[in-house]
Amino acid sequence: MKLWLPPFLWLTALLAITTGLPLMEPVFAAWGKPALVYPRESLLLLLKNHLALVLLSGLLAAAVSIAAGIAVTRPWGRDFLPLASRVASIGQTFPPVAVLALAVPAIGFGDGPTLVALFLFGLLPILRNTLAGLDGIDRTITQAATAMGMSPGQVLLRVELPLARRVILAGVRTAVTINIATAAIGSTIGARTLGDPIVAGLVNGNTAYVLQGAVLVGLLALTVESLFEALERQASRSTPCAASA
Amino acid sequence: MRLRRIAVNRVVAGLSLLAIGLFWTLHFGSVQPNRIVPGTAVGAWEGLGAKASLATTAVLLVLLGMALLNFRGRHGWLSGVLTGALAAVPLLLHVFITRHLDHTNAYARIGVGPGVWALLFLLGLMLSETLRQLPRARIGRLLAVAGILCGWAYGASQYDLHALSLVQEYRVRPEQFVTALRHHLMLSLGAVLISLVVAIGLALLVMRRSSWQRPVFGVVSFLQTIPSLALFGLLIAPLSLLSSTFPWLQELGIRGIGWAPAMIALVAYSLLPMLRNTFVALTSVADELLEAGAGMGMSPRQMLLQVRLPLAMPVIIEGVRVTTIQAIGLTAVAALVGAGGFGTFIFQGLGQAAMDLVLLGALPTIVLALFADALFTVMGKLLSPAGDVGVAGMSQ
Repeated sequence: MKLWLPPFLWLTALLAITTGLPLMEPVFAAWGKPALVYPRESLLLLLKNHLALVLLSGLLAAAVSIAAGIAVTRPWGRDFLPLASRVASIGQTFPPVAVLALAVPAIGFGDGPTLVALFLFGLLPILRNTLAGLDGIDRTITQAATAMGMSPGQVLLRVELPLARRVILAGVRTAVTINIATAAIGSTIGARTLGDPIVAGLVNGNTAYVLQGAVLVGLLALTVESLFEALERQASRSTPCAASA
Repeated sequence: MRLRRIAVNRVVAGLSLLAIGLFWTLHFGSVQPNRIVPGTAVGAWEGLGAKASLATTAVLLVLLGMALLNFRGRHGWLSGVLTGALAAVPLLLHVFITRHLDHTNAYARIGVGPGVWALLFLLGLMLSETLRQLPRARIGRLLAVAGILCGWAYGASQYDLHALSLVQEYRVRPEQFVTALRHHLMLSLGAVLISLVVAIGLALLVMRRSSWQRPVFGVVSFLQTIPSLALFGLLIAPLSLLSSTFPWLQELGIRGIGWAPAMIALVAYSLLPMLRNTFVALTSVADELLEAGAGMGMSPRQMLLQVRLPLAMPVIIEGVRVTTIQAIGLTAVAALVGAGGFGTFIFQGLGQAAMDLVLLGALPTIVLALFADALFTVMGKLLSPAGDVGVAGMSQ
């Protein structure tokens, strides 16, 4: 139970500020500072949209790159293993902002290109960690599993993936952390995210907007990060100690 | 180890088929009457004409054939053909420009299409695959890079590539480009240097007092979690308050926006990768070596400078590599708080819907990151102590 307390607390703070700030507007007005809260969209909607973009791109990226990671570590796909790890490591040197910016001439403005950029950028850390996790397993363990009469599918599902789970999860965590930050920048290419108040505030010199957006994006990142932290602890509790990474 | 000789290079075969497919389906370039109007996309057949597009396909088919056949020195030949093909890409652009540029319109420009990028990317991947299989991969890599650069330099000097939209965007603002480059380098390299010094100090501190390890790493990874845009934003209010209370800070250029919040945020982000690698590198030197040093009568200071640091160097350099790449990317975001750098072009271009300006900001940022990657990889290899006795390599 103690494990899940930090994410719960961050989430409470995040939701309290998101829903509470607009309600405070009359108080601010009485104080002599009207229009302190970002007016163009409700903060809750921006939060939902931000989270949806990150989750959708994260899930798609995880599905594709874990599948690719499994494929290139099978005997029939091994020829492509150096290529895959090369693409993953070169791709990670591309700055997220540049990928985001390049999505615009290719696809246009809005939520769509942001989703595509987040998906592409999420692929690399997950692929890299899937490869590290699966390729780092001691050969004798898989050989032992085969010798016990397991089929290749069983070896993958019951030996390799459980052993690589922590490393893969760490890759998903990296991808999601980067994508929360990149989605915020996505508001410069027309995605509706919590970056909107920040960008609008920077353009108009309105520090109050900047602060709202920044606090909320920060809280969102901390919530998700502490959630992953708890998940990783949970996973390490239930993983047999043979995990190799 | 598998002893089976692979007859077919399935990677090159697959990639060359993909390249043929993309070459014929993606737009090769676009023709624009001026800067803002979206261009008309033109495919390979119409854009390059029968001769050039068939010749390109023929080269790709030759690659496919060589990938399927097994003969002596195959990967050497493949690398040669691929280097030549990459070096010849400016020729294709030249052919496209001469066929499509409207010389009566001074504002007319040619945009580089997804077909060209796909071709460059796939040829590059194939080249890295074949170079890997050469007996002397390092020399091969040098030769290939030199060949490609020579080809491009020749192309830039011989052909009239001024009509390319990217070149036109550059020619409007050469001084601004140089300033952006300078600001970008100063911000990212400055942040890397500061964080290197701080990280080495923190690592030494944490090594002496192990009870500090948890709080120091806790704070540093907390900073890394905060999204960049948020951290830049959060720094604005306190910094503008500071500079309005202490006017002498303003004279130093420390304001709510500008280079000050950017530099602080960049250093904050750089601390985690730098500290993690420095700490791991300094603490995982083998015990025998430390004992040997102590046995020789070295003082703790000598042990640090003559044993630990040299052995830790490759892993520290790896930390510098990761940090520099990250800082180059984040500096682009810092343009939003007025810090300058290539991000200025990206966000200006997005604001004006001028995609070529976006490219003029995004491409140099990517090139800088790739260059830093290559530079520090080579430096890490050169600085690793002979005999490989030191620290086991640690990736990010």
